[in-house]
Amino acid sequence: MDWLLDQLWQTFIEKDRWRYFANGMAATLEITVLALILGTIIGVLVAVVRSAHDSQRGNKKGLGHALLGVLDGLCKLYLTVIRGTPSTVQLLIMWFILFRWADSSSMLWVASLSFGINSGAYVAEIVRSGIMSIDLGQTEAGRSLGLTYGQTMQFIVIPQAVKNILPALVNELITLLKETSVCGFIGLTDLTKGAMIVQSRTYSPFVPYIAIAVLYLIMVLALTSLLGLLERRLRASDRR
Amino acid sequence: MIDVKGLTKSFGDHLVLDHIDEHIHQGEKVAVIGPSGSGKSTFLRCLNLLEEPTSGTITFEGVDITDPQTDINKLRSRMGMVFQQFNLFPHLSVRENICLAPVKLKLMTKDQAEERAQELLKRVGLPDKADAYPKQLSGGQQQRIAIARALAMNPDMMLFDEPTSALDPEMVGEVLEIMKELADDGMTMVVVTHEMGFARSVATRVLFMDKGKIAEQGPPEPFFSAPQHPRLREFLSKVL
Repeated sequence: MDWLLDQLWQTFIEKDRWRYFANGMAATLEITVLALILGTIIGVLVAVVRSAHDSQRGNKKGLGHALLGVLDGLCKLYLTVIRGTPSTVQLLIMWFILFRWADSSSMLWVASLSFGINSGAYVAEIVRSGIMSIDLGQTEAGRSLGLTYGQTMQFIVIPQAVKNILPALVNELITLLKETSVCGFIGLTDLTKGAMIVQSRTYSPFVPYIAIAVLYLIMVLALTSLLGLLERRLRASDRR
Repeated sequence: MIDVKGLTKSFGDHLVLDHIDEHIHQGEKVAVIGPSGSGKSTFLRCLNLLEEPTSGTITFEGVDITDPQTDINKLRSRMGMVFQQFNLFPHLSVRENICLAPVKLKLMTKDQAEERAQELLKRVGLPDKADAYPKQLSGGQQQRIAIARALAMNPDMMLFDEPTSALDPEMVGEVLEIMKELADDGMTMVVVTHEMGFARSVATRVLFMDKGKIAEQGPPEPFFSAPQHPRLREFLSKVL
Protein backbone atom coordinates (compact mmCIF):
# COMPACT_ATOMS: atom_id res chain seq x y z
CA MET A 1 0.00 0.00 0.00
CA ASP A 2 2.77 2.36 0.91
CA TRP A 3 4.47 1.35 -2.29
CA LEU A 4 1.44 2.24 -4.36
CA LEU A 5 0.96 5.60 -2.65
CA ASP A 6 4.61 6.32 -3.21
CA GLN A 7 4.29 5.39 -6.86
CA LEU A 8 1.20 7.54 -7.29
CA TRP A 9 3.00 10.43 -5.65
CA GLN A 10 5.97 10.01 -7.94
CA THR A 11 3.89 9.59 -11.06
CA PHE A 12 1.42 12.42 -10.64
CA ILE A 13 2.35 14.87 -7.91
CA GLU A 14 6.13 15.11 -7.90
CA LYS A 15 7.32 17.90 -10.21
CA ASP A 16 3.72 18.36 -11.35
CA ARG A 17 3.96 15.29 -13.57
CA TRP A 18 0.15 15.13 -13.79
CA ARG A 19 0.57 17.77 -16.48
CA TYR A 20 2.01 15.20 -18.85
CA PHE A 21 -1.24 13.25 -18.51
CA ALA A 22 -3.53 16.25 -18.73
CA ASN A 23 -1.76 17.81 -21.71
CA GLY A 24 -1.38 14.41 -23.36
CA MET A 25 -5.06 13.69 -23.00
CA ALA A 26 -5.92 17.09 -24.46
CA ALA A 27 -3.65 16.40 -27.45
CA THR A 28 -5.15 12.94 -27.95
CA LEU A 29 -8.70 14.30 -27.87
CA GLU A 30 -7.84 17.21 -30.12
CA ILE A 31 -6.27 14.98 -32.77
CA THR A 32 -9.17 12.54 -32.54
CA VAL A 33 -11.83 15.21 -32.97
CA LEU A 34 -10.03 16.98 -35.84
CA ALA A 35 -9.34 13.68 -37.57
CA LEU A 36 -12.95 12.62 -37.04
CA ILE A 37 -14.25 15.77 -38.72
CA LEU A 38 -11.82 15.52 -41.63
CA GLY A 39 -12.38 11.76 -41.95
CA THR A 40 -16.15 12.20 -42.06
CA ILE A 41 -15.94 14.85 -44.77
CA ILE A 42 -13.54 12.78 -46.89
CA GLY A 43 -15.50 9.60 -46.21
CA VAL A 44 -18.86 11.00 -47.28
CA LEU A 45 -17.44 12.61 -50.43
CA VAL A 46 -15.62 9.45 -51.48
CA ALA A 47 -18.66 7.31 -50.72
CA VAL A 48 -20.93 9.57 -52.80
CA VAL A 49 -18.53 9.53 -55.75
CA ARG A 50 -18.20 5.74 -55.56
CA SER A 51 -21.97 5.22 -55.27
CA ALA A 52 -22.72 7.68 -58.07
CA HIS A 53 -20.30 5.84 -60.28
CA ASP A 54 -21.69 2.42 -59.36
CA SER A 55 -25.30 3.49 -59.85
CA GLN A 56 -24.70 4.51 -63.46
CA ARG A 57 -26.31 2.21 -65.93
CA GLY A 58 -26.52 2.05 -69.68
CA ASN A 59 -24.44 4.26 -71.92
CA LYS A 60 -21.47 5.91 -70.28
CA LYS A 61 -20.80 8.64 -72.78
CA GLY A 62 -20.23 12.33 -72.22
CA LEU A 63 -17.86 14.49 -70.21
CA GLY A 64 -19.72 14.02 -66.94
CA HIS A 65 -19.39 10.27 -67.13
CA ALA A 66 -15.71 10.46 -68.00
CA LEU A 67 -15.05 12.85 -65.11
CA LEU A 68 -16.90 10.57 -62.73
CA GLY A 69 -14.84 7.65 -64.00
CA VAL A 70 -11.61 9.51 -63.26
CA LEU A 71 -12.84 10.56 -59.81
CA ASP A 72 -13.90 7.01 -59.06
CA GLY A 73 -10.45 5.76 -60.09
CA LEU A 74 -8.78 8.28 -57.77
CA CYS A 75 -11.06 7.26 -54.91
CA LYS A 76 -10.23 3.60 -55.43
CA LEU A 77 -6.51 4.39 -55.45
CA TYR A 78 -6.91 6.36 -52.23
CA LEU A 79 -8.80 3.51 -50.56
CA THR A 80 -6.27 0.93 -51.67
CA VAL A 81 -3.19 2.86 -50.53
CA ILE A 82 -4.60 4.10 -47.24
CA ARG A 83 -6.20 0.83 -46.19
CA GLY A 84 -3.20 -1.14 -47.37
CA THR A 85 -0.56 0.64 -45.28
CA PRO A 86 -0.25 1.03 -41.49
CA SER A 87 -1.45 4.33 -40.07
CA THR A 88 1.88 4.60 -38.22
CA VAL A 89 3.79 4.50 -41.49
CA GLN A 90 1.43 7.08 -42.97
CA LEU A 91 2.09 9.33 -40.00
CA LEU A 92 5.87 8.94 -40.38
CA ILE A 93 5.71 9.70 -44.10
CA MET A 94 3.47 12.68 -43.49
CA TRP A 95 5.70 14.26 -40.84
CA PHE A 96 9.21 13.27 -41.91
CA ILE A 97 8.77 13.45 -45.70
CA LEU A 98 5.77 15.49 -46.81
CA PHE A 99 5.98 18.09 -44.03
CA ARG A 100 9.69 17.84 -43.31
CA TRP A 101 10.10 21.62 -43.23
CA ALA A 102 7.18 22.14 -40.95
CA ASP A 103 7.63 23.77 -37.58
CA SER A 104 7.19 21.52 -34.55
CA SER A 105 4.31 23.73 -33.41
CA SER A 106 2.29 22.44 -36.35
CA MET A 107 2.89 18.81 -35.40
CA LEU A 108 -0.57 18.40 -33.94
CA TRP A 109 -2.18 19.64 -37.16
CA VAL A 110 -0.10 17.32 -39.30
CA ALA A 111 -0.97 14.36 -37.09
CA SER A 112 -4.67 15.26 -37.30
CA LEU A 113 -4.39 15.51 -41.07
CA SER A 114 -2.70 12.13 -41.27
CA PHE A 115 -5.27 10.39 -39.07
CA GLY A 116 -8.11 12.20 -40.83
CA ILE A 117 -6.95 10.94 -44.21
CA ASN A 118 -6.55 7.47 -42.74
CA SER A 119 -9.95 7.45 -41.08
CA GLY A 120 -11.63 8.82 -44.22
CA ALA A 121 -10.87 5.63 -46.10
CA TYR A 122 -12.65 3.50 -43.52
CA VAL A 123 -15.53 5.94 -43.11
CA ALA A 124 -15.95 5.98 -46.92
CA GLU A 125 -16.60 2.27 -47.07
CA ILE A 126 -18.91 2.39 -44.06
CA VAL A 127 -20.93 5.24 -45.61
CA ARG A 128 -21.03 3.47 -48.95
CA SER A 129 -22.46 0.36 -47.32
CA GLY A 130 -25.03 2.61 -45.68
CA ILE A 131 -25.98 4.21 -49.00
CA MET A 132 -26.32 0.77 -50.58
CA SER A 133 -28.57 -0.36 -47.73
CA ILE A 134 -31.21 2.22 -48.70
CA ASP A 135 -33.84 0.96 -51.12
CA LEU A 136 -33.32 2.17 -54.68
CA GLY A 137 -36.95 3.29 -54.67
CA GLN A 138 -35.96 6.15 -52.35
CA THR A 139 -33.51 7.49 -54.92
CA GLU A 140 -36.04 7.02 -57.70
CA ALA A 141 -38.73 8.83 -55.73
CA GLY A 142 -36.36 11.74 -55.14
CA ARG A 143 -35.22 11.90 -58.74
CA SER A 144 -38.76 11.58 -60.09
CA LEU A 145 -39.66 14.74 -58.15
CA GLY A 146 -36.94 16.61 -60.05
CA LEU A 147 -34.29 16.63 -57.32
CA THR A 148 -30.70 16.26 -58.52
CA TYR A 149 -28.57 13.27 -57.59
CA GLY A 150 -26.77 15.40 -54.99
CA GLN A 151 -29.99 16.72 -53.44
CA THR A 152 -31.45 13.22 -53.33
CA MET A 153 -28.34 12.00 -51.51
CA GLN A 154 -28.28 14.95 -49.15
CA PHE A 155 -31.91 15.07 -48.11
CA ILE A 156 -33.16 11.53 -48.63
CA VAL A 157 -30.51 8.82 -48.78
CA ILE A 158 -27.71 9.97 -46.45
CA PRO A 159 -29.98 10.90 -43.52
CA GLN A 160 -31.44 7.39 -43.63
CA ALA A 161 -28.05 5.77 -44.22
CA VAL A 162 -26.46 7.51 -41.23
CA LYS A 163 -28.98 5.90 -38.94
CA ASN A 164 -28.05 2.45 -40.23
CA ILE A 165 -24.30 2.93 -40.03
CA LEU A 166 -24.01 4.75 -36.72
CA PRO A 167 -22.81 1.65 -34.82
CA ALA A 168 -20.08 1.07 -37.41
CA LEU A 169 -19.10 4.73 -37.28
CA VAL A 170 -18.83 4.61 -33.50
CA ASN A 171 -16.56 1.60 -33.91
CA GLU A 172 -14.38 3.56 -36.30
CA LEU A 173 -14.22 6.46 -33.85
CA ILE A 174 -13.03 4.13 -31.08
CA THR A 175 -10.35 2.71 -33.35
CA LEU A 176 -9.28 6.21 -34.34
CA LEU A 177 -8.97 7.39 -30.76
CA LYS A 178 -6.80 4.43 -29.82
CA GLU A 179 -4.71 4.64 -32.98
CA THR A 180 -3.57 8.14 -32.10
CA SER A 181 -1.44 6.49 -29.41
CA VAL A 182 1.30 6.05 -32.03
CA CYS A 183 1.79 9.83 -32.20
CA GLY A 184 4.89 9.46 -30.04
CA PHE A 185 6.70 8.11 -33.09
CA ILE A 186 6.98 11.63 -34.46
CA GLY A 187 7.69 13.12 -31.06
CA LEU A 188 4.23 14.41 -30.36
CA THR A 189 3.37 14.32 -26.68
CA ASP A 190 0.00 12.65 -26.66
CA LEU A 191 -1.32 10.66 -23.72
CA THR A 192 0.83 7.59 -24.42
CA LYS A 193 3.98 9.58 -25.04
CA GLY A 194 3.28 11.52 -21.84
CA ALA A 195 3.19 8.29 -19.86
CA MET A 196 6.41 7.13 -21.50
CA ILE A 197 8.14 10.35 -20.50
CA VAL A 198 6.95 10.00 -16.92
CA GLN A 199 8.16 6.40 -16.85
CA SER A 200 11.57 7.48 -18.12
CA ARG A 201 11.80 9.88 -15.16
CA THR A 202 10.50 7.59 -12.41
CA TYR A 203 11.85 4.30 -13.81
CA SER A 204 8.57 2.76 -12.80
CA PRO A 205 6.07 1.65 -15.51
CA PHE A 206 3.19 0.33 -13.41
CA VAL A 207 1.20 3.41 -12.45
CA PRO A 208 1.69 5.50 -15.64
CA TYR A 209 0.66 2.76 -18.02
CA ILE A 210 -2.25 1.46 -15.97
CA ALA A 211 -3.35 5.08 -15.57
CA ILE A 212 -3.41 5.81 -19.30
CA ALA A 213 -5.21 2.52 -19.97
CA VAL A 214 -7.94 3.71 -17.60
CA LEU A 215 -7.94 7.17 -19.18
CA TYR A 216 -8.34 5.73 -22.72
CA LEU A 217 -11.14 3.54 -21.46
CA ILE A 218 -12.90 6.52 -19.90
CA MET A 219 -12.58 8.55 -23.11
CA VAL A 220 -13.97 5.69 -25.19
CA LEU A 221 -16.87 5.19 -22.80
CA ALA A 222 -17.65 8.90 -22.81
CA LEU A 223 -17.65 9.07 -26.61
CA THR A 224 -19.73 5.93 -27.06
CA SER A 225 -22.36 6.99 -24.55
CA LEU A 226 -22.59 10.38 -26.25
CA LEU A 227 -23.17 8.73 -29.61
CA GLY A 228 -25.51 6.18 -28.05
CA LEU A 229 -27.65 9.12 -27.03
CA LEU A 230 -27.63 10.42 -30.60
CA GLU A 231 -28.52 6.99 -31.94
CA ARG A 232 -31.52 6.71 -29.64
CA ARG A 233 -32.74 10.10 -30.84
CA LEU A 234 -32.38 9.10 -34.49
CA ARG A 235 -34.13 5.79 -33.87
CA ALA A 236 -37.07 7.58 -32.33
CA SER A 237 -38.70 8.02 -35.74
CA ASP A 238 -38.71 4.23 -36.22
CA ARG A 239 -41.00 3.64 -33.31
CA ARG A 240 -43.44 6.39 -34.01
CA MET B 1 -47.71 16.23 -75.17
CA ILE B 2 -45.35 13.29 -75.06
CA ASP B 3 -44.11 11.70 -78.21
CA VAL B 4 -42.21 8.43 -78.29
CA LYS B 5 -40.31 7.36 -81.41
CA GLY B 6 -38.51 4.08 -81.91
CA LEU B 7 -38.09 3.54 -78.17
CA THR B 8 -35.92 0.51 -77.53
CA LYS B 9 -34.58 -0.72 -74.25
CA SER B 10 -32.50 -3.78 -73.65
CA PHE B 11 -30.88 -5.12 -70.51
CA GLY B 12 -27.83 -6.90 -71.89
CA ASP B 13 -29.11 -9.32 -74.51
CA HIS B 14 -32.66 -9.12 -73.25
CA LEU B 15 -34.80 -6.85 -75.41
CA VAL B 16 -37.48 -5.36 -73.15
CA LEU B 17 -38.90 -2.64 -75.40
CA ASP B 18 -38.87 -3.14 -79.13
CA HIS B 19 -39.16 0.03 -81.23
CA ILE B 20 -42.18 1.58 -79.63
CA ASP B 21 -43.87 4.55 -81.32
CA GLU B 22 -46.56 6.25 -79.31
CA HIS B 23 -48.07 9.65 -78.81
CA ILE B 24 -49.92 10.74 -75.71
CA HIS B 25 -51.98 13.89 -75.99
CA GLN B 26 -52.77 16.39 -73.31
CA GLY B 27 -55.70 15.31 -71.16
CA GLU B 28 -55.54 11.69 -72.20
CA LYS B 29 -55.80 8.97 -69.59
CA VAL B 30 -53.87 6.03 -70.93
CA ALA B 31 -54.01 2.67 -69.19
CA VAL B 32 -51.19 0.26 -69.98
CA ILE B 33 -51.97 -3.39 -69.42
CA GLY B 34 -50.23 -6.62 -70.24
CA PRO B 35 -48.71 -9.77 -68.76
CA SER B 36 -45.73 -9.43 -66.42
CA GLY B 37 -42.47 -9.10 -68.29
CA SER B 38 -44.18 -7.47 -71.25
CA GLY B 39 -42.25 -4.24 -70.67
CA LYS B 40 -45.08 -2.02 -69.48
CA SER B 41 -43.30 -0.76 -66.35
CA THR B 42 -40.08 -0.25 -68.29
CA PHE B 43 -42.05 1.75 -70.88
CA LEU B 44 -43.46 3.98 -68.16
CA ARG B 45 -40.08 4.39 -66.46
CA CYS B 46 -38.51 5.41 -69.76
CA LEU B 47 -40.98 8.29 -70.06
CA ASN B 48 -39.24 10.16 -67.21
CA LEU B 49 -35.87 8.55 -67.86
CA LEU B 50 -35.73 6.50 -64.67
CA GLU B 51 -34.67 3.93 -67.24
CA GLU B 52 -32.35 5.22 -69.90
CA PRO B 53 -33.54 4.13 -73.35
CA THR B 54 -31.07 2.13 -75.40
CA SER B 55 -32.23 3.99 -78.49
CA GLY B 56 -35.11 6.11 -79.72
CA THR B 57 -36.34 9.55 -78.76
CA ILE B 58 -38.89 10.83 -76.29
CA THR B 59 -40.17 14.36 -76.73
CA PHE B 60 -42.03 15.95 -73.84
CA GLU B 61 -43.72 19.32 -74.39
CA GLY B 62 -41.54 19.91 -77.42
CA VAL B 63 -38.23 19.08 -75.73
CA ASP B 64 -36.22 15.99 -76.59
CA ILE B 65 -35.61 14.52 -73.15
CA THR B 66 -33.26 11.82 -74.42
CA ASP B 67 -30.84 14.53 -75.56
CA PRO B 68 -27.95 14.56 -73.04
CA GLN B 69 -28.02 18.38 -73.09
CA THR B 70 -31.54 18.49 -71.69
CA ASP B 71 -31.94 19.28 -68.00
CA ILE B 72 -33.78 16.12 -67.06
CA ASN B 73 -34.45 17.34 -63.52
CA LYS B 74 -36.52 20.27 -64.82
CA LEU B 75 -38.60 17.93 -66.96
CA ARG B 76 -39.05 15.39 -64.21
CA SER B 77 -40.44 18.09 -61.95
CA ARG B 78 -43.28 18.50 -64.47
CA MET B 79 -44.02 14.76 -64.56
CA GLY B 80 -45.31 13.29 -61.32
CA MET B 81 -44.65 9.65 -60.61
CA VAL B 82 -46.37 7.24 -58.26
CA PHE B 83 -44.70 3.92 -57.48
CA GLN B 84 -45.98 0.48 -56.66
CA GLN B 85 -44.12 0.51 -53.33
CA PHE B 86 -45.15 4.14 -52.54
CA ASN B 87 -41.52 5.09 -51.75
CA LEU B 88 -42.41 7.69 -49.18
CA PHE B 89 -39.41 9.01 -47.26
CA PRO B 90 -39.63 7.18 -43.91
CA HIS B 91 -37.45 9.64 -42.00
CA LEU B 92 -39.70 12.58 -42.84
CA SER B 93 -43.21 13.43 -41.70
CA VAL B 94 -46.03 13.46 -44.22
CA ARG B 95 -45.83 17.25 -44.44
CA GLU B 96 -42.06 17.14 -45.00
CA ASN B 97 -42.50 14.42 -47.62
CA ILE B 98 -44.80 16.70 -49.59
CA CYS B 99 -42.88 19.96 -49.06
CA LEU B 100 -39.33 18.68 -49.62
CA ALA B 101 -39.06 18.92 -53.39
CA PRO B 102 -41.00 22.18 -53.99
CA VAL B 103 -38.97 23.93 -51.28
CA LYS B 104 -35.55 22.52 -52.16
CA LEU B 105 -36.10 23.28 -55.83
CA LYS B 106 -37.15 26.81 -54.81
CA LEU B 107 -40.52 26.60 -56.52
CA MET B 108 -42.27 27.64 -53.33
CA THR B 109 -41.38 29.13 -49.98
CA LYS B 110 -41.74 26.91 -46.94
CA ASP B 111 -45.02 28.59 -45.98
CA GLN B 112 -46.48 28.29 -49.46
CA ALA B 113 -45.48 24.64 -49.66
CA GLU B 114 -47.02 23.86 -46.28
CA GLU B 115 -50.23 25.56 -47.27
CA ARG B 116 -50.27 23.59 -50.51
CA ALA B 117 -49.51 20.38 -48.60
CA GLN B 118 -52.51 20.95 -46.36
CA GLU B 119 -54.68 21.59 -49.41
CA LEU B 120 -53.47 18.39 -51.08
CA LEU B 121 -53.91 16.33 -47.93
CA LYS B 122 -57.50 17.50 -47.81
CA ARG B 123 -57.90 16.52 -51.43
CA VAL B 124 -56.65 12.97 -50.82
CA GLY B 125 -58.83 12.73 -47.74
CA LEU B 126 -56.09 12.76 -45.09
CA PRO B 127 -56.16 16.31 -43.71
CA ASP B 128 -55.20 15.22 -40.18
CA LYS B 129 -52.10 13.20 -41.12
CA ALA B 130 -49.62 16.02 -41.80
CA ASP B 131 -47.54 15.26 -38.72
CA ALA B 132 -47.70 11.48 -39.03
CA TYR B 133 -44.78 9.41 -40.28
CA PRO B 134 -45.18 6.99 -43.20
CA LYS B 135 -44.79 3.91 -41.00
CA GLN B 136 -47.82 4.90 -38.97
CA LEU B 137 -50.06 4.83 -42.04
CA SER B 138 -51.77 2.02 -43.91
CA GLY B 139 -50.68 1.15 -47.44
CA GLY B 140 -53.66 2.91 -48.95
CA GLN B 141 -52.98 6.04 -46.94
CA GLN B 142 -49.31 5.96 -47.90
CA GLN B 143 -50.16 5.73 -51.56
CA ARG B 144 -52.59 8.65 -51.27
CA ILE B 145 -49.80 10.67 -49.62
CA ALA B 146 -47.47 9.64 -52.45
CA ILE B 147 -50.00 11.00 -54.94
CA ALA B 148 -50.22 14.24 -52.96
CA ARG B 149 -46.42 14.46 -52.92
CA ALA B 150 -46.28 14.16 -56.72
CA LEU B 151 -49.09 16.70 -57.14
CA ALA B 152 -47.28 19.24 -54.96
CA MET B 153 -44.95 19.89 -57.89
CA ASN B 154 -47.96 20.91 -60.01
CA PRO B 155 -47.03 18.43 -62.73
CA ASP B 156 -48.47 18.55 -66.23
CA MET B 157 -48.64 14.79 -66.36
CA MET B 158 -48.82 11.91 -63.91
CA LEU B 159 -47.24 8.48 -64.31
CA PHE B 160 -48.56 5.61 -62.19
CA ASP B 161 -46.57 2.39 -61.95
CA GLU B 162 -48.99 -0.29 -60.71
CA PRO B 163 -50.18 2.01 -57.93
CA THR B 164 -52.51 -0.52 -56.32
CA SER B 165 -50.57 -3.75 -56.76
CA ALA B 166 -48.94 -3.65 -53.32
CA LEU B 167 -52.15 -2.81 -51.48
CA ASP B 168 -54.46 -4.96 -49.43
CA PRO B 169 -57.64 -5.50 -51.43
CA GLU B 170 -59.81 -3.31 -49.22
CA MET B 171 -57.49 -0.34 -49.79
CA VAL B 172 -57.43 -0.47 -53.56
CA GLY B 173 -60.71 1.41 -53.84
CA GLU B 174 -59.60 4.49 -51.92
CA VAL B 175 -56.53 4.95 -54.13
CA LEU B 176 -58.44 4.38 -57.37
CA GLU B 177 -61.03 6.89 -56.18
CA ILE B 178 -58.36 9.60 -55.84
CA MET B 179 -57.00 8.71 -59.27
CA LYS B 180 -60.45 8.91 -60.78
CA GLU B 181 -60.97 12.38 -59.30
CA LEU B 182 -57.62 13.41 -60.71
CA ALA B 183 -58.67 12.14 -64.12
CA ASP B 184 -61.95 14.02 -63.88
CA ASP B 185 -59.99 17.21 -63.17
CA GLY B 186 -58.33 16.83 -66.56
CA MET B 187 -54.88 15.55 -65.56
CA THR B 188 -52.94 13.77 -68.28
CA MET B 189 -52.26 10.29 -66.92
CA VAL B 190 -50.41 7.17 -67.90
CA VAL B 191 -51.30 4.26 -65.65
CA VAL B 192 -49.69 0.84 -65.68
CA THR B 193 -52.30 -1.28 -63.96
CA HIS B 194 -53.89 -4.65 -63.41
CA GLU B 195 -57.19 -3.04 -62.44
CA MET B 196 -59.26 -3.74 -65.52
CA GLY B 197 -62.30 -2.07 -63.99
CA PHE B 198 -60.34 1.13 -63.61
CA ALA B 199 -58.90 0.91 -67.12
CA ARG B 200 -62.37 0.38 -68.48
CA SER B 201 -64.13 3.18 -66.63
CA VAL B 202 -61.46 5.89 -66.39
CA ALA B 203 -59.04 5.44 -69.30
CA THR B 204 -59.66 7.18 -72.58
CA ARG B 205 -57.33 4.74 -74.29
CA VAL B 206 -55.92 1.35 -73.37
CA LEU B 207 -52.58 -0.05 -74.53
CA PHE B 208 -51.92 -3.77 -74.43
CA MET B 209 -48.24 -4.62 -74.30
CA ASP B 210 -46.77 -7.98 -75.15
CA LYS B 211 -43.13 -8.93 -75.65
CA GLY B 212 -41.88 -5.35 -75.72
CA LYS B 213 -44.39 -4.11 -78.27
CA ILE B 214 -47.77 -2.44 -78.12
CA ALA B 215 -49.80 -5.29 -79.52
CA GLU B 216 -53.17 -3.59 -79.50
CA GLN B 217 -54.67 -0.30 -78.44
CA GLY B 218 -57.88 1.63 -78.57
CA PRO B 219 -60.66 3.24 -76.54
CA PRO B 220 -61.81 0.94 -73.71
CA GLU B 221 -65.12 0.08 -75.30
CA PRO B 222 -64.11 -1.93 -78.34
CA PHE B 223 -60.84 -2.85 -76.61
CA PHE B 224 -62.43 -4.89 -73.84
CA SER B 225 -65.59 -6.03 -75.63
CA ALA B 226 -64.05 -6.95 -78.98
CA PRO B 227 -60.33 -7.65 -78.60
CA GLN B 228 -58.59 -8.47 -81.87
CA HIS B 229 -55.14 -9.73 -80.99
CA PRO B 230 -55.12 -13.40 -79.88
CA ARG B 231 -52.67 -12.64 -77.04
CA LEU B 232 -54.97 -9.92 -75.75
CA ARG B 233 -57.96 -12.25 -75.90
CA GLU B 234 -56.03 -14.85 -73.96
CA PHE B 235 -54.84 -12.23 -71.44
CA LEU B 236 -58.32 -10.79 -70.90
CA SER B 237 -59.86 -14.23 -70.50
CA LYS B 238 -57.42 -14.82 -67.63
CA VAL B 239 -57.80 -11.51 -65.82
CA LEU B 240 -61.45 -10.62 -66.33
